[in-house]
Amino acid sequence: MKPHEFEILKQQFQERILPAVPMIFVGMGTCGIGNGADVIFNRLEARISETKSPYLLKQTGCFGFCAQEPLVTLYQPGKPLLVYCRVNEKDAIHLVDALTKGRIYNKKILCRIDEWDFRESQVHFGKGYAEIPHWDEIPFFKGQKKIVLRHAGLIDPEDIRDYFAVGGYRALKKTLEMQQEDVVSEILASKLRGRGGAGFPTGIKWSIMQKAEDDQKYIICNADEGDPGAYMNRNEIESDPHMLIEGMIIGAYAMGATEGIAYVRAEYPLAVKRLKKAIEQATEWGLLGENILDSGFNFNLYVVEGAGAFVCGEETALIASIEGKAGRPMPRPPYPAAKGLYGKPTNINNVETWCNVPVIIEKGSEWFRQTGTEKSSGTKVFSLVGKIKNTGLVELPLGSTLEHFIFNIGEGTGTTKRVKAVQTGGPSGGCIPLEYFSTPVDYESLAGIGAIMGSGGMVVMDQDNCMVDVARYFLEFNSAESCGKCTPCREGLSQALAILTRITKGQGTFADLERLELLGRTIKDTSICALGQTAPNPILTTMKYFRKEYEEHIREKRCHAGVCDTLYMALCENSCPMHMNIPAYIELIKEDRLDEAFEVTLRDNPLPGTIGRICHFHCQMRCRREQLDEPVSQGEIHRYLADTIYKLGKENEIYNRLIKEKLKPTGRKIAIVGAGPAGLTAAYYLVRLGHEVTVYEALHEAGGVLRFGIPQYRLPKSVLQKEVQFIRKLGVKFLFNQRLGQNFSFETLIDKYDAVYLAIGAWKDIDPYIPGEKAKGVFAGTEILKELALGKMPKLGERVVIIGGGNVAIDAARSLWRLGKDVAVVYRREKGDMPANVAEIFEAEAEKINYHFLAAPHEILTDARGKVKALKVEVMSGGSIDTSGRRRPVSTGKFEEIPCDSVVLAIGERVDSAHLSQHGLAATKDGRLIVDPFTFLTSVTKIYAGGDSVTGPSTAAEAMGMARKAAESIDLALMNENRFHMLFRKFEYKNLVPQNPKVSPKNRSAKLTVKERIGNFQEVECGYTGEQARNEVNRCLRCDVRC
Amino acid sequence: MKITINNQPLEVQEGLTIMEACNAVGIHVPCLCYLKDVSHNASCGVCVVEVKNAKSLLRSCITQVTDGMDITTNSQRVMEARRVNIELMLANHPQECLGCDRNQNCELQEITFDLGIHERPFVRTKKEYSPKDESSLSLVRDPEKCILCGRCVAVCREVQGVKAIDFAWRGLKSRISTYMDLGMGIVACTNCGQCALVCPTGAITEKSAIGDVWKALNDPEKVVLVQTAPAIRVGIGEAMGMPYGSLVTGQMVAGLRRLGFSKVFDTNFAADLTIIEEGNELINRIKNGGILPMITSCSPGWIKFIEHFYPKSLAHLSTCKSPQQMFGAVAKTYYAEKTGIDPRNIVVVSIMPCTAKKFEARRPEMDGAYHYWKDKLKLTNEDHFYDVDAVLTTRELARMFREIGIDFTHLPAEQFDNPLGESTGAAVIFGTTGGVMEAALRTAYEVFTGKTLTDINFTSVRGLSGIREAEVDLDDKKIKVAVVHTLKNAGILLEQIENGTSPYTFIEVMTCPGGCLGGGGQPIPTNTEIRLKRAESIYYEDAHKGIRKSHENPEILTLYKDFLKEPLGEKSHHLLHTKYIWRGY
Repeated sequence: MKPHEFEILKQQFQERILPAVPMIFVGMGTCGIGNGADVIFNRLEARISETKSPYLLKQTGCFGFCAQEPLVTLYQPGKPLLVYCRVNEKDAIHLVDALTKGRIYNKKILCRIDEWDFRESQVHFGKGYAEIPHWDEIPFFKGQKKIVLRHAGLIDPEDIRDYFAVGGYRALKKTLEMQQEDVVSEILASKLRGRGGAGFPTGIKWSIMQKAEDDQKYIICNADEGDPGAYMNRNEIESDPHMLIEGMIIGAYAMGATEGIAYVRAEYPLAVKRLKKAIEQATEWGLLGENILDSGFNFNLYVVEGAGAFVCGEETALIASIEGKAGRPMPRPPYPAAKGLYGKPTNINNVETWCNVPVIIEKGSEWFRQTGTEKSSGTKVFSLVGKIKNTGLVELPLGSTLEHFIFNIGEGTGTTKRVKAVQTGGPSGGCIPLEYFSTPVDYESLAGIGAIMGSGGMVVMDQDNCMVDVARYFLEFNSAESCGKCTPCREGLSQALAILTRITKGQGTFADLERLELLGRTIKDTSICALGQTAPNPILTTMKYFRKEYEEHIREKRCHAGVCDTLYMALCENSCPMHMNIPAYIELIKEDRLDEAFEVTLRDNPLPGTIGRICHFHCQMRCRREQLDEPVSQGEIHRYLADTIYKLGKENEIYNRLIKEKLKPTGRKIAIVGAGPAGLTAAYYLVRLGHEVTVYEALHEAGGVLRFGIPQYRLPKSVLQKEVQFIRKLGVKFLFNQRLGQNFSFETLIDKYDAVYLAIGAWKDIDPYIPGEKAKGVFAGTEILKELALGKMPKLGERVVIIGGGNVAIDAARSLWRLGKDVAVVYRREKGDMPANVAEIFEAEAEKINYHFLAAPHEILTDARGKVKALKVEVMSGGSIDTSGRRRPVSTGKFEEIPCDSVVLAIGERVDSAHLSQHGLAATKDGRLIVDPFTFLTSVTKIYAGGDSVTGPSTAAEAMGMARKAAESIDLALMNENRFHMLFRKFEYKNLVPQNPKVSPKNRSAKLTVKERIGNFQEVECGYTGEQARNEVNRCLRCDVRC
Repeated sequence: MKITINNQPLEVQEGLTIMEACNAVGIHVPCLCYLKDVSHNASCGVCVVEVKNAKSLLRSCITQVTDGMDITTNSQRVMEARRVNIELMLANHPQECLGCDRNQNCELQEITFDLGIHERPFVRTKKEYSPKDESSLSLVRDPEKCILCGRCVAVCREVQGVKAIDFAWRGLKSRISTYMDLGMGIVACTNCGQCALVCPTGAITEKSAIGDVWKALNDPEKVVLVQTAPAIRVGIGEAMGMPYGSLVTGQMVAGLRRLGFSKVFDTNFAADLTIIEEGNELINRIKNGGILPMITSCSPGWIKFIEHFYPKSLAHLSTCKSPQQMFGAVAKTYYAEKTGIDPRNIVVVSIMPCTAKKFEARRPEMDGAYHYWKDKLKLTNEDHFYDVDAVLTTRELARMFREIGIDFTHLPAEQFDNPLGESTGAAVIFGTTGGVMEAALRTAYEVFTGKTLTDINFTSVRGLSGIREAEVDLDDKKIKVAVVHTLKNAGILLEQIENGTSPYTFIEVMTCPGGCLGGGGQPIPTNTEIRLKRAESIYYEDAHKGIRKSHENPEILTLYKDFLKEPLGEKSHHLLHTKYIWRGY
């Protein structure tokens, strides 16, 4: 064939891309078929023939958006391509039928494609359907640059004519007219680097090989893609095998090889089949074999199926495997370019490297270098998997940031869970934490933070992933896949795995961590091949970035993510910051042993009735029942239990038992500053341990945010008072109206007490920095709530706008609504992004409180007298997902004014620790006290701290959980022995797992009607009836029971 | 080129590895998998050194020095890596040093000691225990003790060309195994024992016969005769703490007497006998158009090798039994008759440098004496005995000496007993590669031509190069002979024979590198330098023997006169010759 003949071929087969009749194509990669694409294909075929329609139907490779499979694309002459997603059999029929009726099936359309740059051939499909987003406007594709995947999903991989039609094999023709050296120079100039992971400059590899003199040289394509979660190469072969073949022929010509082998993973049967078929076709067309295109150049290509070992991806092991030997790496040098397959000079490149070759030759190295970075040119295909909304194959210019991959393209987790880390480079890559997501994805940058690019797997992890377990998982893989040849890899990985396994079972020690580091170092430093040299990366990176998780496993014997199952009782217990024994009280209620059930909760939680009402219910976020229907309402049950015991007046008996079993007086004096949830909890435990506990409180009553923040309609004062009263009864001394630095000094604390626990909370409102904030009629949310709690009437106007999306904002809104105000809530993001409790947001809606979402406060407008007259907001739109997993609000330039006479600022609180830092207490920039994560000791001896003053605003349960641990730590420090366990006792109860649980939604307690709520602060939630409670406890699956 | 080792500038020649360069300046870099001339597996990770600007530590065994290389062998990083790798090996290595055959002669033990490792920071991670492979008559493999250095695989594949063992499985399950895990006694293993000789630990050892020998020695009914192969006298001294290649024939004889053997005889006697038979066989084949080249048959590893891999060439083998077997047959017939001892009460023990001899002694046809006596003494099947009852390696003999506390260096030199203790210089050189050829030529030349040799030293067949050849002038006839050692080299000559291109009339094949003195039963270590020292002692003993040609051994002449009558005669046929079978690949 002559060059112009390729042009003729292209023209001749153009109708395969732009036929005169409608054409439907189905994405039939392994992923598509796995999602039923073959069934869809058959259904389409049947419908087309039943209706005797003239439509064409063809199979293509995969367009890359795995989360939306199966993908079906519709072509109509003169119209844009329409890509349908998640197509089922019914859709297939509708699609054909609609077409027959001259209409378009308008459901499940993902995007349209007006034109396509096949790189070697620009194709215009047509115009229209402006209402449907263009393919590069939807997040998953936005910013992707398809060089390697340019044909994937758009041409038939099993028909060479499709490849001709998009300009295929023209680069080969061009190559055969070039000098060999010039081809190598072009690759060298392109700065293409090995896409298998190591990133060695391909041009240099080629030129070494080209210079090697021998009667026989080989080239090999490494398609032994073995990383868990990586399938780029599979798709590249399945979707466009001829591009690989063309790349290899060009390489063979340039390097003087006459034999080529594609070593394809045997687990990729479809890729093997398509590649073999493509080789046959290329041979028939004279593109492989003897005297290719009359150039005198001979080249034969064979497929060898892999031996099923991960290590065979290592080039020397791969060569051994082709030779029929066990896949064991050989020390290098000699490098394959000198002594490779059968002892002859051999060049090995990854599939994707080869696939980049034709386009570089066709368009030139300069064109190629325009994409990517200075050192890493071109694109890289990644498979984005794991806890990510948009899974699929992503091709981006090298140098794009991880954030771009995971939040812009992948759109975060797609759930309320937060992204924690990403593992790049497969099992021998590293785990990169969220803080490093601004890192550009290129060879050097990833290596710089301990990870590797690898072949392109990207596994996203969220808060439910335990990083110790992640390391253990990858080590298990690496250890099993080690060829076993060299000591450090074979033995070292097994030892590291044993240590990690021990840690995940709570049997680890801190010496184990040192040993892991030592092993990691030695294995990296002394293994022969890349498998061993990189295998410790998962350990080393997780230890570096998630060391606290290791320490929690070792020190607290806890796995906070709830993965290492020997370290928790049940997921609800594990998620509860106080680690309440939830299964125990649930079972005891089931057995009608309410007193004991209450005692269980009381020992874990001094404020059961309070927390049973206002908790965030961390327990429900991980309830296994959710997989069946809905989570169990552990909190409602908890509240029912407290309410019932109080109603029956049985609490005193239990209180007396706890008072009686107080430990002997120790003579140690402890001061607690702050009577909020943290302070009360610490006091409760410390006084029971026999210490003399004094609580200093700035206000005139105990309770902190529970008393002065949370409105009555959520938490009646009487419940809290009863529970605080019990703490007082235990012997805790309260000093009210005592503000640190005003009414008593820090020195007094140091002088008079053996230990001090600071639980001062986060009360200071964050300054909003918006013009007009000082105007008359602007209030702070916490102040409004405090005044209401004190029974005062805040001096607000009638039309109130509240800025913020947290609980303070909603509490203020609902309180003011009860007082008859016209209330609106302004929030700059969307509804689902609000940090307030979901139930509260819902109730506020029910109470007809106006929400203004995607409204960013711009200015508080005032009248001539300086009084608030309106809030000017900028209308925002939801942009891409940010690292918090929420859509970033993006300016639209449009403004609105919300008329009002008062503005309440509730955009968050912070810790006021300024005066404490004068006494040497270390704090973060935003004022949070810095403490040891396990002992809660501050930077000053015997001063401990906890609650919001350490964490910043968080939930009451979290503050109480910390306080409980701090009490244990303080007691240990004072008494030098572990006595904390003496405050608890074991309850015997049945351990039966419900057989065949049936779907039954959770019980919902009665509520006041909206009408009934107006003008009063009566509690809205009425709590469970006895029957509801009994039904609800029976929903528990008892996942704490292990076989 | 100029390099720096531990901050000291040095000038070294090109092509050296870092390890060789270090050795040259007196720094011994510890290693476990590397073995000069045998393996460069680069797997153990112990010989690592730090090279400036290198990304990771480098293996000194395979990395060649380059100009300006800055090497550190003693940094914290290097020492830590070495220690960790040894500790890792120890984690899955049984801590049974006290009961191990290789106690105090174990490279792993030595390195552990040298690196000052006193604790075991890592626990066993292997879940399953691998059973011992005791299927072989010669060797026992204990995979538990194996550290996967790969030396045995390398020696079997690269030196011997046998490939009986290889790595199997992967990861922590990796182990050395045989084809389909069948066991060394079943697969095509030649029993040469070179694997045992190179093993750094006790993972491969000979199958011990010490217990059987003690039992016989303590049985008052039995007359226990011992024969010692030519290579023992240059090896046993080493095993008893003497310098490499010490020639200790007299002390060895004395030691054996102290062990309680009734008579101490010499396999050399049988070696002389072999030369008479084999020399005559060769002459016969030359004169009568027999199958040529004829190949020697005294190395049992070699016999098994050809029986497995070159069955078409079996007819080229001499039909002569090996000296060990000839000795056994003669002892239990001629000597029994002569002394009137019931052959059933004679126990023949051989001391051999060879593990394959243990197998050879149990070849079914090696019971000539039993058949000799069967009718005369009306022997039943239950009376069956082999010509040789037990075979001990040099190492086993040393263990027995130690067991009874023999102070070997202070033993007086004693003489072999007669009549089976008399031998010539020709016999002693059987112990080295080329020796059988030289001994045979001394006899064949004189018998063939009727002339006396002027120079009996055939130096062209001496030395350690793999294949050596010589041309011998037998009056009107010039013949070409060849000597090879190692089975890989033997394979080369067999290929020639099977191709029809072999130019030789007579070929000597020895299984082990250096011949019997480098046999698989010899003291550890055995390497090229040590082999040369042992060979030197052997040639020394030959040079200082009164009689140096087998056909001049007076006891041999008596044996023929009184018993065998003539070489290749009927008795010889039954007692001294054998046949071979194809054993499958």
